Amino acid sequence: MKLSLNWLREYAALDAPVEEINRAITFLGFEVEGTQVTGAPRLDGVVVGEVLERGKHPNADKLSVCQVDVGPAGGVKTIVCGAQNYKVGDRVPVALPGAVLPGNFTIRQSKIRGQLSDGMMCSGREMGVGDDHEGLMILAGRPGLGLPINSVLPPGDTVFDVEITPNRPDCLSHLGMARELAAWFRKPLRYPQVRFAGHPAGAAPAAHALLASVRVDAPEDCPLYIAHAIAGVRIGPSPEWMQERLRAVGLRPVNNVVDVGNYVMLEYGQPLHAFDAAKLGGSRIVVRRAAAGERIVTLDGREHALTGGMLVIADESRPVVVAGIMGGVNSGVEAGTTDLVLECAVFNPLSIRRTSRSLGLASDSSYRYERGVDSEAAGEAARRAVDLILETAGGSVVGPVHRVGSDTPVRREIVLPTGFVERRLGFAIPEPEMRRALGALELDISRESAAPGGGAEWTVSIPSWRGDLDRPIDLVEEILRLHGTDKIPPSTVVAPGLPGEDDPVVRFNRAATAYLVGHDFHECVTTTLRSARETATWVSETAAQELAVSNPFADDQSHLRPTLVMGLLETLRLNQSRGVAVSRLCETGRIFIERNGHNFECAASAFLIAEDASRTWRRREAPDFYTVKHHVEALAAAAGVNLSREALLPAQGPYFGWQAGHSAVVGDMAHGWTARFGLLNLGMVRALGISGTVHAGIFAILPEKLLGGPARRRYSDFSLYPAALRDLALVVDASTPAGQVRDAVLKAGRAAPAGAFVLESVGIFDVYQGANLPEGRKSLAFSLVFRASDRTLTDDEVNAAFGRLQEDLARNTAFQIRK
Amino acid sequence: MQESLNAIVSRAAAELPKVGSRPEFEAAKARYVGPNGELTAVMKTMGAVPKEQRPAMGRLVNEAKAGLQALLDEALRRIEGAELAARLGPPVDPTLPPPDAGPGTYHPITLVREEMCRILHKVGFSVTDGPEVETEFFCFDALNTPPEHPARDPQDTFYFPASARLGNVPKKVEGERYLLRTHTSSVQVRTMLKGPPPIRIVSPGRAYRRDTTDATHSAGFHQLECLYVDRGVTVRDLKALLDYIFASLLGPGTKTRFRPHYFGYTEPSFEVDLSARHLPKVNKEWIEIGGCGMVDPAVFAAVGYDPEAWTGYAFGMGLERLAMLLYAVDDIRYFYQNDLRFLRQFA
Repeated sequence: MKLSLNWLREYAALDAPVEEINRAITFLGFEVEGTQVTGAPRLDGVVVGEVLERGKHPNADKLSVCQVDVGPAGGVKTIVCGAQNYKVGDRVPVALPGAVLPGNFTIRQSKIRGQLSDGMMCSGREMGVGDDHEGLMILAGRPGLGLPINSVLPPGDTVFDVEITPNRPDCLSHLGMARELAAWFRKPLRYPQVRFAGHPAGAAPAAHALLASVRVDAPEDCPLYIAHAIAGVRIGPSPEWMQERLRAVGLRPVNNVVDVGNYVMLEYGQPLHAFDAAKLGGSRIVVRRAAAGERIVTLDGREHALTGGMLVIADESRPVVVAGIMGGVNSGVEAGTTDLVLECAVFNPLSIRRTSRSLGLASDSSYRYERGVDSEAAGEAARRAVDLILETAGGSVVGPVHRVGSDTPVRREIVLPTGFVERRLGFAIPEPEMRRALGALELDISRESAAPGGGAEWTVSIPSWRGDLDRPIDLVEEILRLHGTDKIPPSTVVAPGLPGEDDPVVRFNRAATAYLVGHDFHECVTTTLRSARETATWVSETAAQELAVSNPFADDQSHLRPTLVMGLLETLRLNQSRGVAVSRLCETGRIFIERNGHNFECAASAFLIAEDASRTWRRREAPDFYTVKHHVEALAAAAGVNLSREALLPAQGPYFGWQAGHSAVVGDMAHGWTARFGLLNLGMVRALGISGTVHAGIFAILPEKLLGGPARRRYSDFSLYPAALRDLALVVDASTPAGQVRDAVLKAGRAAPAGAFVLESVGIFDVYQGANLPEGRKSLAFSLVFRASDRTLTDDEVNAAFGRLQEDLARNTAFQIRK
Repeated sequence: MQESLNAIVSRAAAELPKVGSRPEFEAAKARYVGPNGELTAVMKTMGAVPKEQRPAMGRLVNEAKAGLQALLDEALRRIEGAELAARLGPPVDPTLPPPDAGPGTYHPITLVREEMCRILHKVGFSVTDGPEVETEFFCFDALNTPPEHPARDPQDTFYFPASARLGNVPKKVEGERYLLRTHTSSVQVRTMLKGPPPIRIVSPGRAYRRDTTDATHSAGFHQLECLYVDRGVTVRDLKALLDYIFASLLGPGTKTRFRPHYFGYTEPSFEVDLSARHLPKVNKEWIEIGGCGMVDPAVFAAVGYDPEAWTGYAFGMGLERLAMLLYAVDDIRYFYQNDLRFLRQFA
């Protein structure tokens, strides 16, 4: 809201410098977004002078050499001047040597084309007053010679653009902010003098034909409606002082009646509306809900179709105002208007807000109603407006004051034990200061008693405009505000021992990111909300539906991400398009996985490895499926999942972003975790405009599965005797997964020593397909390590066990032992 | 005999330095000192030496033996050295860059978040986490945000359809909607509902607001919020925390100040300004850095804490904003574009 300092000074003697007032507003709890100074700045050394002579400059056609009298400020000066708009005898501003004009322009005695000039006569613009630079500023009214120019020019104004927090609608007015500033600067607050008093109770005049009655059909949305009928006004411009104030705060003056409405709104925070009585159909006003299908053209020229819930002010047949928001052109005050109905009402904030939102129609009035107006001030604001209309437009109030509804909200009182303030603040504010702060804000202490635990207890009555004050803590804030939040005494942080361990998700994120960054990945942060098209690349249509937000802001940010890989691919594409060589990217964050119509929010960590396009002097072996498998195993380990123990099969379709036959999946949401890794679909990658192949991996886990962490491990004994090694090659179907064959070898190998010793490990050291093998077959070579816990094994016993192992495989599997 | 010994030693001294490989060496060794070697042959003639000359001869034999051994050792050392040298390629050029990509880098948001968490760890805060898809209860109701509050408007908050089902985010209130959390304060509510005070947590994470993306705004951004609930927590304690945080982050000369403000979930509420003119691109005396306040009694009531017994403070700030300030980044979008030339600057 824009607040004029001159206007604020109407209610409180704010004589502090502008910077201090600015600071006061800030520390009262309102953000000053801008300060605009109008009028003349301080111009030391610029005085009133009179042109005594004007002669031609000997060396320049367009210049004159003048004799200028500045009286007591320095007598007669010779000044060279280029302006043409003045004559001998004019009084003009004269900047004497040493004066500094706006723009840090210092005036010096100087020679201009060989002619001495002892100062400068000024235009308005040169002094920072307006934009006029057509010529010198000719001063009207022949002000005294030598007077400082600031005493002659009209005083400027300072306009603060202040953000009013939603809890303080009372400060959406000059009076409200003046109350705050008066309290801060310890000045009394002066309310406007309201002369119109309505009619004494019981002596109301009979209804006038201009406005016969007011009926409120929706009292829950309009708790108070006050209407005055004013006859015989003359529409014209409002007085200059009022126009100046309205302009200062950014409003365009319209006419005296409209301007008074705006003026009083900006003074009290209470919106008013005047409409042309002659344009009303009939002489009745009805406050009702719109009928579906009713239409109105508002003063901004837009037509609106109204719906059932919207509150309107209507005459006998049609809506004339969208209540609390904007009047209709069908009842607007214009040049020929003579009779008025002046409305001053209180509306339900929610009703106004809903209507304003659904019509896309807002105004200074609706802004205030949405935040809540002070219902007790409505009557006074209406009478203040009547005063100003009668003063500026003439006319007289006819008939009774129509008043429907109530303006007496429940008076609230808050009981504040004075010790409570210190207990909450952690430092003491002297009692007289607390008392003064409350009083200055008109929070009157109506009763005092002894508090049960010692000290005093104040019963504070809360004025109608402070709907935000409810509890003792609210008063603590008021006292602290006026004390100054910049005066909170310094202290040290008291920190008893760390009460808790970091969340398991936090620890997983840290471990996963540390692993990936440690393996040369660049950590990225990509957006959670993705486009529908992108999402469809990665999940089924049903899953995509579950991921959609109902009110996306932008089309390309409509779905929760089901994988981190999509953001990493976008990052890869961006870097490639900018010619930045990049190969390893990673991200850790939340993703959303659909299962059986439910979305599961998972903690996830993902990475990708793109074909490295950068040319280096030594080529490294290209990463492949097993590179990403290795990293995914490490990510799983960070979550306490041992991936090597899990049944891992080549992925079955649908593959979505992954390449069939070159990617794998393990786990699903039934386990509470899932991992997917391998080559990304070549076609998809190319369609994204990415060059080269991309391998990727992701591990995702339900946060709740991370709880607890793994059980503490127990050490198991290991043998100190030498191992016995045997190699075994098996020829199997090319499509048989190596893991399956290894499992069979392990099983047979565990049984073979018959408990006398153990098969310690089985490694795969060769995978072969090609010459010497039949088509469709492959050879897998295993290295077996046998060991006993209590002795060195003999060749004989190992050979016997190895033999049994081979017999077992020959009998129970289709694998062929390669000799 | 003496001549024979001298001849053997001088032959060996001529031959052994020329021996170039291990097999040659083994052959030479056998030839001189092996069971059928020349020295052995000479020693076998000792029997023919007169008894009184034997000690002198013995001495000569031992000298020859030691001389041969020294020559052999020297040859072996030389051959082994040559063998190791053969394993090496040509010497490296240490000025060549490693051909591997790297090193990896942490994202600046992570760096700032972790630094804040470390600072807070020292004064007893533990790091918590919570879901990004939240329900109205955790994001608004429990935080004293009335149903008609503008922050809840679909213009400002992302919602999910009534049919949306979150498998691991149960609703607290029947019929409430799912939404993307607008702040990480929802984690505070979850933590308070889990158990009684005292509580001292920091919750960093993503938050979402329906907002135009420009140089300083993003629909998704990162927040960090602190909550401390205990007996007798005061405004002064809150100010002490903020002073501590920013002095730790930016140096002991850093000042903070509170300006009164309004938030629904704290009372009194403050905006926090920071005075840090030593930072680059800072041209104002005070920069707004976050919001804080004393937990509103209504919030305690919503989570079942007795507002008479417990007090607490909360503080929240945007991590992007902090990162922008610390690193002098002037466009928030750089954080989400992940241009490598950007990411590499913070490692």
